[in-house]
Amino acid sequence: MMTLLAAAAAPAGEGVLGPFGFSWPLFIAQVINFILVIVILKKFAFGPIQQMLEQRRARIAEGEEKLKRIEKQLADSEEQTAAAIAKANEDAQRLIDEARESAASLSEAKAQEAVDHAQQILAKAEAAAKAERQQIAAELKKEFGKLVAATTAQVTGKVLNDEDKNRINQEALAKVEG
Amino acid sequence: MSRRPLISILLLWLCSLGPALAGGGHALPLHAPRLSDYLPINNSMIAVWIAVGLIVLFCRAATKQMKLIPSGIQNFAEWLFESLYGFLEGLLGEHLTKRTFWFLGATFFFILTVNYLALIPGVGTAGWEVLDEKGGETVGFTPLLRGGNADLNMTAAMAITFALLWFYWAITENGFKGFMAHIFAPKGDFSGVMLVMMIPVFLFVGVLEVVSILIRPVALSFRLFGNIYGGEQTLEKLMLLMPHKALHFLPALPFYFVELLVGFVQALVFTLLCAIFLKLICDHGDEEHH
Repeated sequence: MMTLLAAAAAPAGEGVLGPFGFSWPLFIAQVINFILVIVILKKFAFGPIQQMLEQRRARIAEGEEKLKRIEKQLADSEEQTAAAIAKANEDAQRLIDEARESAASLSEAKAQEAVDHAQQILAKAEAAAKAERQQIAAELKKEFGKLVAATTAQVTGKVLNDEDKNRINQEALAKVEG
Repeated sequence: MSRRPLISILLLWLCSLGPALAGGGHALPLHAPRLSDYLPINNSMIAVWIAVGLIVLFCRAATKQMKLIPSGIQNFAEWLFESLYGFLEGLLGEHLTKRTFWFLGATFFFILTVNYLALIPGVGTAGWEVLDEKGGETVGFTPLLRGGNADLNMTAAMAITFALLWFYWAITENGFKGFMAHIFAPKGDFSGVMLVMMIPVFLFVGVLEVVSILIRPVALSFRLFGNIYGGEQTLEKLMLLMPHKALHFLPALPFYFVELLVGFVQALVFTLLCAIFLKLICDHGDEEHH
């Protein structure tokens, strides 16, 4: 390539490239010039910008990585939350069932207790009523006996002794009850 | 008056001033005149260093207080940088772009700045008359500055530097054996007699490829030099079409805008061709099979 250039430019200023202004000293100077230009641009111009862009790219990549990690954590957390909620629901349902069962058995016991209590009250009431009735009947019998004896005494005009009174009472009561 | 018409008028004035001062009746010589008898310095080198200074100043301003969330000039610089990086990445792939962007990116912005600097009024026109030995008559004109890419030495220097880097990248990417095989070895699935018959064909193709590789820097340098030098000459010659000096700018004015476009396109073409030449030698053809 350089040979090609040399052939084109030689002898200096009179080769093929000579009329176009090509000159070896200027060409070499321009090569050095251009290399310096590239080095200077790389150091002072492109270097800092490229560094910043790479830094930003790395930061964006890091951000994306973090975002992915956060998304994964969020998904895991949601999964854990859902599992915890499901477990809590399960526990709650179990507690409700247990409470329901417990309440049902308690209710049954209380009902039975109430029934027993009611039956006791009923039995007591019946006994009281029976006693009262017997008392009333006894009183009635007594009054009825007195009445019959008084009536008999008035009808017969006879003074009745206790024995007569008892006998008349017994007879009258036997007829009434009979 | 609002700001927009003011800017438009200023731009129009600048654009008119450009071609008006661009030639001044002096034909731009093919060679950039040396400014020193002892040092190999010409006026295009001065323009090149001014362009580099401008780029460095811009980049220093953009990177002075770099923030992770960019704004203002940093944002603009990063946009320029990332746009070109993304464009080259689409062409070369991630690995090669990361490896070569310092050269390709710098070359693009350098050529672009040098091309636009050449269009600034005064570049190529502000200078001094060269008098004959007796000091009586004017025999020439030496501009203080000349468009950097209107000097074949500059474009050739860029092309040669790229060519040397191309060899370096090609050999380090492929290995020397792979590099030679890339040029001379038969491509395709040949075997037996067919392979034996194809070997001389591909050897001949390889020789043609070598010639093509040697021609590339010449083509690169002459394409850029020709377009930029031709553009400057066009502007100067067009101005001479008008008889009155005050109207010299008028025929050149539309072409001034064309030159703005040419300046960008040529920077892109040079960078793009460098990238394509690099891709051609470093491409292993893997992508086709995926």
